[in-house]
Amino acid sequence: MEGLISEQEERLAQRCLEHALSAGAGKARVVLSKNLTELYGTLNGSLDKVSRSMDRALMFNVFANGRFGSFSANRLEEKELFPFIEKAVRTVEMLAEDPCRDLPNPSRTEKGAVTGTELGLLDTVSLTPDDRLGLALDAAAFGKIEDARFKVISEEGEYSDTVGDTLLLDSNGLRCRHSETSFDYAVETTIEDVRGNRIAGYWWDSAPRLENLDIKSCGFKAAERAASLIGPSKTRSGPATVVIDNTCGSTLLNPILTALNGYSLQQKNSFLDGTLGKSIFSGNLTVSDRGREPGRPGSRLFDSEGVAVREGPIIDRGKVSKYFINTYISNKMGIPPTVDDATRPVILPAGAPDDGPFDLDRIMSLCGDGILVTGFNGGNSNPTTGDFSFGIEGILFRDGKPVHPVREMLMTGNFITLWNNLLYAGNDPRPCMSKLIPTLAFGNVTLSA
Amino acid sequence: MIRDKKYYLDTFGVSEEQLLLLVAEGLACGGDYSDLYFENSAYFSLQLRDGEVSSGSRGIDYGVGIRVLKGEKTGYSYSESTDPGSMKEAARAAAKIAEGRGGTVEITPESAGRILRDARDRAAAYVPAENNGDRKVRKFFTGIPNPAADRYPMSQDWRDAETAALVPVLLGLRDRISRRDGTIVKILAQISGIVDDILMYNSFGELKYETRPMGSIVATVIFSRGGKTENKTVARSFRSGVEMLSDALLDEIAEEVTSGIDERFEATRPKGGGMSVVMGAGASGILLHEAMGHAFEADFNRKGQSIFSGRIGEKVCDSRISIVDDATVKGNRGALNFDDEGVPGQRTYMVENGILTSYLHDRISAKWYGVSPTGNGRRESFRNYPIPRMRATYMESGDATREEIISSVKKGIYVDEFTNGQVLIGEGDFTFYVKSGFLIENGRLTAPVKDINIIGNGPRALADIVAVGNDAKIDNGKWTCGKGQSVPVSCGIPTVLVRELTVGGN
Repeated sequence: MEGLISEQEERLAQRCLEHALSAGAGKARVVLSKNLTELYGTLNGSLDKVSRSMDRALMFNVFANGRFGSFSANRLEEKELFPFIEKAVRTVEMLAEDPCRDLPNPSRTEKGAVTGTELGLLDTVSLTPDDRLGLALDAAAFGKIEDARFKVISEEGEYSDTVGDTLLLDSNGLRCRHSETSFDYAVETTIEDVRGNRIAGYWWDSAPRLENLDIKSCGFKAAERAASLIGPSKTRSGPATVVIDNTCGSTLLNPILTALNGYSLQQKNSFLDGTLGKSIFSGNLTVSDRGREPGRPGSRLFDSEGVAVREGPIIDRGKVSKYFINTYISNKMGIPPTVDDATRPVILPAGAPDDGPFDLDRIMSLCGDGILVTGFNGGNSNPTTGDFSFGIEGILFRDGKPVHPVREMLMTGNFITLWNNLLYAGNDPRPCMSKLIPTLAFGNVTLSA
Repeated sequence: MIRDKKYYLDTFGVSEEQLLLLVAEGLACGGDYSDLYFENSAYFSLQLRDGEVSSGSRGIDYGVGIRVLKGEKTGYSYSESTDPGSMKEAARAAAKIAEGRGGTVEITPESAGRILRDARDRAAAYVPAENNGDRKVRKFFTGIPNPAADRYPMSQDWRDAETAALVPVLLGLRDRISRRDGTIVKILAQISGIVDDILMYNSFGELKYETRPMGSIVATVIFSRGGKTENKTVARSFRSGVEMLSDALLDEIAEEVTSGIDERFEATRPKGGGMSVVMGAGASGILLHEAMGHAFEADFNRKGQSIFSGRIGEKVCDSRISIVDDATVKGNRGALNFDDEGVPGQRTYMVENGILTSYLHDRISAKWYGVSPTGNGRRESFRNYPIPRMRATYMESGDATREEIISSVKKGIYVDEFTNGQVLIGEGDFTFYVKSGFLIENGRLTAPVKDINIIGNGPRALADIVAVGNDAKIDNGKWTCGKGQSVPVSCGIPTVLVRELTVGGN
């Protein structure tokens, strides 16, 4: 596979930038993106769907007389684009002045994203339709699973591969490119237990390179995860130790990252307003950004403004080390800019008694009794207070061993309190994920059942 | 809005002959059915923050999706250009779902007619003929769109809206909000409008076209008192043009977004656990959407994945309960003249007098079940193939008053503002998040509560509805349903009492 943006298309993007300036914009930024996805889906081991999708979009930001607007179009012919750009500039001129809007200072922008392939995320493997069909059919586990506890009702699998290519240009002369491939397999298996209850299990894998995609075990793991929830019992409400497996911790981390974002902070819509430099979480919590690591899902050299991604701590042993501040918010709040968001956050291990593997089994063993959460079912949080309430599914464990599944259970609390009660963070994040969140254990979590 | 056919053909630069050849191209490898979905989408938005309307956006999204069915199997591709070569390439990509049976046929005007006739016989849905015993007939939707029956006429097109004319609307909303409460620290507001020109054609020869508007206005207000911060968001969304932005609507939003703030600052979480829940009229329709609606979508049932699979004709709840999924509510966010497969929008009883009467069908599931499609085949855009989705889902009124229902509860909660619902289709477990409500103690609303999740099991919750109010109301918030693809929906319900649900709390 190879990058999708042609030289002709890059020239078109450059002409659009110039046209925006000649139409009245003082400054402008253009982002051209293209994605090609091929998908082969199976139902119960047979081909069920095939789709091919090629997306392209030209997004541009216009800065005119201290005013700002953002625009997008997918009709990439000059005769369509140029009148649209002119209309965009006229739209911006009608808005209120906001002098804080600006392009990033060139000293902060990425200089090394020239070919788009610097991070080694573009696999050059070549696949035919038959290759893709073979991968999808080979991955299906339907008909290969025999278990006295259940029968498989349905198995829906999807193999897909995507090539993505992004080019960012601005009127300060910035040019950045990012190209990547992603190979994905996801499967949902619905089983029926001996009492006729239906339970669904889900598993997936993803990798920038096909050779790293573990496709064959997904169907079996999905069925295993469904089977692990057979025979649920209700559990008493009250405080408990909760272990979160390494598939679903982002539900708890994402609200922290959102609360650290400048847009939330500037609008007073963040429960982490005023916490920069303060120790407000457990000393066990360290979140670091490893956004420039080559070959890893989620890595990127530049953010949405073209600012160079910097690696380093976001939360360092409980202390808030970074807000995500783009150029606009920096000018608005009068604080130094950083990047506009976390790129590839990693929760580092904590609480391990030794240097060995620190995974789910070990953490459950150390916790003794509690609830293992294998998935969240809905819920939300209050961005201004950090209060949350989530539905959970999982397994009651005693002495580190699973006892029975739990259902219709809720986990309720406040994020600051929750992360202050972080007991352990494992060293077992799934490498296929762009946020590397290992098994986590929290003490004194309020559960309702 | 329904314009004349020529407008749509010209918008996409195609002729009817080209449409016919293109669907035939989709069948070149032996497919049973093929359809085209052309979409020209224009969106516009303006944002107010920090007291000024200082940012705006516009966008264009244009393309055609081509679907080929072979039995229940789907081939899909799309093109962001409607030049003949790009569309033919997309059709050939979708056609591959049927590859391997007799090779690929070269499509000419002569061969196209024969291929389409053969496919029409194979792919038609055969449904029971009315008043004719067990005899089944083929079901087609051949009528042309009728502007007189349009469910979303638009007098002021968002595409023609001048920024200068809409800025004062947001500023007016700002002023209405800020004069109602002195503890406001921030107001964020947004107006957005989308207009989609749609043209659909299929291998049955059914041609449908229309223009779908969608206008939304959202206000979020941040309040600060005594060092504590709270927020509230209110939205309204309609299939309408700019004319929806009336003074009355702005007053309504301003009033709602600033009401109940005292209670919000006082609110606490209740003690968690199982308890009776009174769901207030309107937005509580999320209960139906999550707990029942998704499980009634026919694709989940056809594959045996839903907890309601195989239960058509069964009594699933009290006989006072009827639940509808409706595309016919004029101007509603879930309204449709046609679904995204060209099937006329209609009103579908899922539960009638307590009996499960119908799933929500697209063409695939309707053929599989031998029933007529219910007009629920929907998609996010031309980039997606249609699947069964809800529209406006609501429960019809019962006979109790709101006061009677609340007074019948000794201990429980009353809830009326929600976000974020979700359901596990196989297990039937659903959740939704309550932004605000009240404790009920000895039949009276007492202390305010907030920020709690509620969880239950769909079939059990449905069977546990023990009182239905006479005050059915559809909520006009900006509801969006996600099922791999996002589509606009709405929901509604009268005040109902659910005997027991699990409430998150301290």
